[in-house]
Amino acid sequence: MSQLTDNVEKHTALYVEAFNAGDFATVESFYTEDAVAVWEPGKALSGDARRAYQREFLKSGPKMTAVPRHTFVTGDTALLIVDWTIDTVDADGKPEHLKGVGVDVLRLGEDKVWRYAIDDPFGEG
Amino acid sequence: MSYTFTVDFDPERPDLTDDTDTQNEIFLQVFNSGDGELFNRLYLDDSISNFSGEPLTGEARLAFFKEFLAVKPRLKATVTHSYVAGDVALIGVDYSIDTTGPDGSPVHLAGQCTDVLRRGADGRWLMAIDRPVAATGLVAE
Repeated sequence: MSQLTDNVEKHTALYVEAFNAGDFATVESFYTEDAVAVWEPGKALSGDARRAYQREFLKSGPKMTAVPRHTFVTGDTALLIVDWTIDTVDADGKPEHLKGVGVDVLRLGEDKVWRYAIDDPFGEG
Repeated sequence: MSYTFTVDFDPERPDLTDDTDTQNEIFLQVFNSGDGELFNRLYLDDSISNFSGEPLTGEARLAFFKEFLAVKPRLKATVTHSYVAGDVALIGVDYSIDTTGPDGSPVHLAGQCTDVLRRGADGRWLMAIDRPVAATGLVAE
């Protein structure tokens, strides 16, 4: 949990660090309990389905870059527009380069750390 | 008020609800009423609107809404996606706005808008952040 932050400006960089370390438990700690992720366009996942997808995706050791282009914070809610890339492997084991402009909605928890409530990596395409 | 609303909502305490179609209909009708003060009530005090091309909140946002809606622009919007996670929601819409420029000539604006909604302690869903990205026209960045 030490990776989590009360500074929304740092949130993306810390998430990338956890993602690139391939540590599912740490990555998962960046999401709210009822977070929604749309890692495949039009296919929203939450709960155990979201966690299972994340766990599987991290297995091949994907590497991410992500830089927020815009950050809007109002109270305990934030909207981040993020330019990102992921280098991973496809189903056949061949290198695959993914990129997009993500739309992230973050919530500030009662413990004063920001977490993803909605993770929509192809949200602005 | 000359505008006739065909959607059921309380102008004194509007609630955009967690229903996508209801959200869109209330938003459209209140926008199209031309009443900037009423439209501002769809937002929390500290909500951020980027309609003007820069993030506005509080009094600056209210002043912009009053000015922008005074000429009664006509908004059309179609929801492209909607996700709800607990007490926060993300909505995407394709929008178009037909309005009037300072010289009285017609102006057409169109693009995509990302909206973040929040459910407050009183249970009402209201706008927290809007972010239009214009394909045509001046609204947005």
